[in-house]
Amino acid sequence: MPHLTLSALEKRYGAAAPAVASLNLKVAKGELLGLLGPSGCGKTTTLRMIGGLIPVTSGQIDVAGRDVTALPTHQRDMGIVFQNYALFPHMTVAENIAFGLEMRRTPRAEIKPRVQQALDLVRLPDLGHRKPRELSGGQQRRIALARALVIRPSILLLDEPLSNLDAKLREDMRTEIRDIQQRLGITTIFVTHDQVEALAMCDRIAVMRAGHLEQLGTPHEIYEQPATRFVADFVGRANQIAATRDADGTIRAGALVFRGPPGPPGQVTALIRPHRLGFAPAEGGNTAAGIITRVTYVGDLLACTVDCGGVSLTVEQPTLPGLPTPAVRDQVRISWRIEDTLVFPAE
Amino acid sequence: MIHRALIALLFAFLLAPVALVFPMSFSADRVIAWPPSAFSFRWYIALFNETALRQAALNSLLLALGVTLLSLAIALPAALAIARGGFRGRDSLMALLTAPLLLPTIVLGLALLIVFAGYGLIGSWLGLAFAHLLITLPYALRVLSTALATIPAAVEEAAASLGAAPGAVFRRVTLPLMTPGVIAAAAISFLVSFDEVVISLFVVGPKLTTLPVAMYRYVESRTDPLVAAVSALLVLFSLAIVLLLDRTVSLRKAIGK
Ligand SMILES: Nc1ncnc2c1ncn2[C@@H]1O[C@H](COP(=O)(O)OP(=O)(O)OP(=O)(O)O)[C@@H](O)[C@H]1O
Ligand SMILES: [Mg+2]
Repeated sequence: MPHLTLSALEKRYGAAAPAVASLNLKVAKGELLGLLGPSGCGKTTTLRMIGGLIPVTSGQIDVAGRDVTALPTHQRDMGIVFQNYALFPHMTVAENIAFGLEMRRTPRAEIKPRVQQALDLVRLPDLGHRKPRELSGGQQRRIALARALVIRPSILLLDEPLSNLDAKLREDMRTEIRDIQQRLGITTIFVTHDQVEALAMCDRIAVMRAGHLEQLGTPHEIYEQPATRFVADFVGRANQIAATRDADGTIRAGALVFRGPPGPPGQVTALIRPHRLGFAPAEGGNTAAGIITRVTYVGDLLACTVDCGGVSLTVEQPTLPGLPTPAVRDQVRISWRIEDTLVFPAE
Repeated sequence: MIHRALIALLFAFLLAPVALVFPMSFSADRVIAWPPSAFSFRWYIALFNETALRQAALNSLLLALGVTLLSLAIALPAALAIARGGFRGRDSLMALLTAPLLLPTIVLGLALLIVFAGYGLIGSWLGLAFAHLLITLPYALRVLSTALATIPAAVEEAAASLGAAPGAVFRRVTLPLMTPGVIAAAAISFLVSFDEVVISLFVVGPKLTTLPVAMYRYVESRTDPLVAAVSALLVLFSLAIVLLLDRTVSLRKAIGK
């Protein structure tokens, strides 16, 4: 039985188009599910409905087989980490963390060690006496996480818990949250608009678009077998080529001709991930001749823009010592595997 | 530089009458005259024996305290309902409750006189308290609404998610966070009520009068520096309250400027 079930969930603000519509999701116990999508697609709205912070327009939310749709937030037993931390500014860090335990009438003697445990868990063991304003942004995040975890909620809801952090801290926190979540085995919904974050952390990802569920799958499925052009474009980077497909699967974009998976002929968009393109010949794959028009060095990657018969393709190669560095105006042949060509009907 | 000088000049102009009151209150003369020919404590001693003024001061104090408590008791739930309640017409309610501020007080006073006369409320505690509430409530409501508006909704939502029922959210999170606003609202209500003359003039009676009205009546009939002594004490009293307020909360923050 799934731990959390959303059935035909819908939310309308006023008369406008629904912010979330006909959303069906099943989340297993202990699973970390990512809600991924561009700004305004309804991620926060979905999370707030699950947490009971806003009423649903229609549909049902079940937790462990029990309908909680009409339950107020304080009876839902969910830990929520808000986008802007929302720590209590008038309480110390320890008091912030103890708050949920006090509300649960946990015996005094038990509160103290559990607060300390929670502080240890987020690796800030000595900050209990500070006020939230005396903490850095990253520390506040972790305290907010500790405060949500200490009550041992049945479900953890995280709304962009890593936004506004610098790149290094972001990566650390990513593994940290994932670690803690795995260790506690806590069912978690993780909202993000950052696809790298979603791919790196989640068991499964629900990609949302304009209030609808676009695709649900493991990070691998989402990345390798995107169900729609939107998913392919939103998750990972891709060269997009407007083209036509012949009945035999040949794809033509001006002078560029290559093969892709078979499908109905007509106007299509072909997508190829930049790092799946290479300069070394691929056995039985696609090849195209072109001229390098731009070379961008970003440290671990070298991005070359190649003009292939009027179609501009970006090729990304890891920078390896000893490899000849391509230069602008070099004549090159690029190649890629046929299965790395993703083809979707043109919209 | 010129700006500074201009501002200093403006302040001097505004504060001169207030500052003048202090030397005047120590005058030894029989009538108000500037400069005093000699200094003494005689008018402070005279004030001590002026039972009518003392009674009026006590009345004003009690009235201001009562009005302050009532203001908070009404404005706090109203501000909460307006800021957090999801009902229609919140803006209209706010406008209605702050409308008395827009009316000329003399019109308000006259209206109250007409209404109160029919119910025997003239010169009664009830009538006075009601009249003062009319003008303290808008201030209290504004200050409390501002205080509430600065509390992020997410903080209250976080409390709820941690298992706090609405009452507990208010007691443990909302109220402590708006304490500066509550103190400011109380202080402003108190000062506005304590200071009120125009409306009071219409609704006081022979048995019950307030300090500002009593002072007004006093200077109508007498010209000795006794009122200067009262004024000096009043200035110090108001200053003490404002300083207290400033130490607990920043006044500017409370008003939301
Ligand atoms: N309180 C509200 N009243 C009216 N419309 C709202 C409200 N909250 C959200 N919306 C609308 O609902 C849609 C979904 O908003 P939501 O906050 O869920 O987006 P999101 O996916 O979390 O975006 P972001 O990544 O920017 O946080 C948006 O079009 C938004 O304008
Ligand atoms: Mg959001």
